[in-house]
Amino acid sequence: MKKINKYIMANTCYIRACLVVVFCVSAGSLMAQGSSAKDSVAKKDATVKTPAAAQDSTPAAPVAKKRSYTKNTFDGNYIIDNQTVMVPIKGTLEFDIQHRFGAVDHGFKDLFGLFASATMKLGFSYTPINNLQVGFDATNEKMEVDWNLKYALLKQTRDDAFPVSVTLYGNAMMDTRAKDNTTLFVSTSDRFSYFYQVIVARKFSENFSLQIAPSLAHFNNLPGFLDAAGNVQQIYKNDNFLIATSARYKISEGSSIIVNYDQPITQNPANNPRPDISFGLEMRTSGHDFEIFFGNYGSLMPQNNVLFNQNNFRTGQFVLGFNISRLWNF
Amino acid sequence: MATSILALSMVSFAFTLIQQSKPWPVPEKSAKMANPVKADKASIAAGKSLWNLHCASCHGKTGLGDGSKAAQLKTQPEDMTKAALQGQSDGSMYYKISEGRDDMPSFKKKIPDAEDIWNVVNYIRTLKK
Repeated sequence: MKKINKYIMANTCYIRACLVVVFCVSAGSLMAQGSSAKDSVAKKDATVKTPAAAQDSTPAAPVAKKRSYTKNTFDGNYIIDNQTVMVPIKGTLEFDIQHRFGAVDHGFKDLFGLFASATMKLGFSYTPINNLQVGFDATNEKMEVDWNLKYALLKQTRDDAFPVSVTLYGNAMMDTRAKDNTTLFVSTSDRFSYFYQVIVARKFSENFSLQIAPSLAHFNNLPGFLDAAGNVQQIYKNDNFLIATSARYKISEGSSIIVNYDQPITQNPANNPRPDISFGLEMRTSGHDFEIFFGNYGSLMPQNNVLFNQNNFRTGQFVLGFNISRLWNF
Repeated sequence: MATSILALSMVSFAFTLIQQSKPWPVPEKSAKMANPVKADKASIAAGKSLWNLHCASCHGKTGLGDGSKAAQLKTQPEDMTKAALQGQSDGSMYYKISEGRDDMPSFKKKIPDAEDIWNVVNYIRTLKK
């Protein structure tokens, strides 16, 4: 019980720290916007170009001379199994359909994983205000659901005055399976786990973008085992760190090669998670984003991948997967 | 024979109806609005990128109106390389992209930054033949 309380306390501290950071930065940005708005009013006349054609004789639409941020560092919210630094524009509703087949290493037995048990996720996210996205996902794996927040804290500027974009991402995931002999739930808090990520990205050129995301997964409750003396021993640690690295290279206006490498950092008493390599193709249209890829991660909730991935790229345990995103603007 | 001629006439008339685009009046104030974004290399590159993402599927890569979705539309997308369109003011183009009509969606929410719509206008100018 003390252990549970300790982890609840630890989680509360994380959430509070995140909220304080978000609040401070939001206040800072609002103040900055206020002062730049005053500047832009003062400079408004200077930003209007002299009409180029005789027919264009009235003042131009106000294109305020504001700080210009780098656009489209990545094409969508997801890059295979990772979140990208991108937060959609205000008023965007996104519907995600994600699918992971089985590992290909069983060959024809299950047609390279296509007929193995698959993992699916449906997700909705919405951007109610600039730079903040809220979301909800549900997956068939352990009947898990999550609620998530994504906040674009800092943005790379076109003039390179600020060289990177920084986004915070966090979720709270709940295992909604019914309580029975196979589950370990004593109280409701045992069903919860959390995932936190600081995503730092840079768009190096129109074609190439790279991001690094230090990540933390926390599970309130995990399986253990009884040793010879009858004492409960841990298999996993409750907190696991990971570094996620993702890159995109555009091969045409609408399509890109995408890759990830995810390296677990924490050493667990047993069943250490394995790193992930994934690679694939992304195709973007005005209202859709499609990704098809191979990778080692078979789960669709990030904390499950951080702690439980046992697919080994050295032995060819890759799974085929795809992500489809549909976007609407309101 | 008479029936065949009548049928042919009806089909031709139907095609005429599909092909003809109805007038799209633009408020005078919008039509006369000057383009505040210089058509430099960066603006045209940004406009091209937006064109390929949002416009090319209907209007075609080179603006001929032959995009992959064009056949499914009720209105034939206009040939943007021709004088009929290129003769319009920048302000008119800005208004039409921003507001939309019928098959042509409004882009003021998808492209919320006014500068980006002007970038698209600057790119459309490069499609002229």
